Amino acid sequence: MKTKSWILLFGAVFLILAGIVAWQYLGAKPAGSARIYADGRLVRTVDLSKDGAYRIESAEGWNELTVRDGRLAVTAASCPDGDCVRCGWRSADPPIVCLPNRVSIRFTEAGELDGVVR
Amino acid sequence: MKLKCLPILLVFALLLSACNLLPDAGGNPRAQASERSIWAMDTQMDLRLYGDSDGKTMAALTARLNELDRSLSATDPDSDLSALNSSGHSEEPRILRLTAEALAVSEQTGGALDVTLLPASRAWGFTTDNKRVPEAAALEALRERVGMDKIELREGVSVSLPAGTELDFGALAKGYAADVCRARIEEDGLSGILSLGGNIQTVGSKPDGSPWVVGVQDPDDAGRYLLTLELSGSKAVVTSGDYQRYFEQDGVRYCHILDPKTLAPVRGSLRAVTVVADSGLRADALSTALFVLGREAGESLWRRLGDFEAVWMEADGSIWLTPGLENLTQGDAFRVIAP
Repeated sequence: MKTKSWILLFGAVFLILAGIVAWQYLGAKPAGSARIYADGRLVRTVDLSKDGAYRIESAEGWNELTVRDGRLAVTAASCPDGDCVRCGWRSADPPIVCLPNRVSIRFTEAGELDGVVR
Repeated sequence: MKLKCLPILLVFALLLSACNLLPDAGGNPRAQASERSIWAMDTQMDLRLYGDSDGKTMAALTARLNELDRSLSATDPDSDLSALNSSGHSEEPRILRLTAEALAVSEQTGGALDVTLLPASRAWGFTTDNKRVPEAAALEALRERVGMDKIELREGVSVSLPAGTELDFGALAKGYAADVCRARIEEDGLSGILSLGGNIQTVGSKPDGSPWVVGVQDPDDAGRYLLTLELSGSKAVVTSGDYQRYFEQDGVRYCHILDPKTLAPVRGSLRAVTVVADSGLRADALSTALFVLGREAGESLWRRLGDFEAVWMEADGSIWLTPGLENLTQGDAFRVIAP
């Protein structure tokens, strides 16, 4: 096999590999979503690619969620401590948990982690 | 001939290896998992099992967790624990088991774990939404009701308390629940990972044989991990810190973990401590005790006992590991304590 053919062959393989890697890391990822639990039950799944506002009612109180630019935040809540509001904008786990209202929000794009100790 | 085949073989080899870069090549382990979230013990519990095709194990775990919640709750008046607290006597085996472990860890840690602090927690308002700094005299008045020396345990037979003394298994119950769940999952020949309100319990091996990757939350930023731990087999990972339940008054942060010596929230240089151990009950109990002790006394305890690993997160941002975790940890700069 001639040197030129070798170069062409490896050039082609390199391009294919580069394409695959680029597709995996840079390509359009599926839109993330958030699962909302109230009192331990899944009450809603929210598509993070669509801006919107949601009100979640649990037996203990309410939480208002806002989705903007692919991220979600608890923007208001009836809980006394407001820890869930302080969690800020998120698009990935760890979950946002409102213990007083028994509401938690988990994200589907959890990265490579199997769990988070807290 | 040999030379002509070589490039073709190389191309095939490269393409095959490229296929492994594709997402979900060989099956995404999560796709084989069954997941369920429940609310028990005043917290969310997330259960993930591998290989539970008929859902029997998941159903059994859910039932056990709900049962343990009813039995070990300090606030449910119908629980086995409330029965002990009101009558001063119990022969319930799981109450005896938890009491024995609490006494053992208390003794090993010089009293850093104390499960009789419920009246003091009440005085600080941690059992309600009305948290506040109590009068010093009110705390002093509680001293005759608290203390591990008030507990009279006849191993395997009964536990008795004097009038006014109450037990609270908040520092142990989730760890015990993790042990109970792990035993059931192993008995059914399955594997999985549980998050019982942030207490992580791994069981067996992941289907693809890779280690479990557990993030340790940054005390200052719930959206960030300080480091990750790669764990093999069945392990319990539990954190105690000042950032989970607390209130602030006059610029001072008061966390929910009380120092048995002062009956006041722990005021040390630690933000959090994470314990890795074989038993969930032990990891849970030790994490509370280690948080009360602080890092230096905790290091001494580790050297003396050696049956756990730990991560200490200090207020100055420094992170300290026991040597057994050094090669299992990815993350921000950390230091390893001397063996």
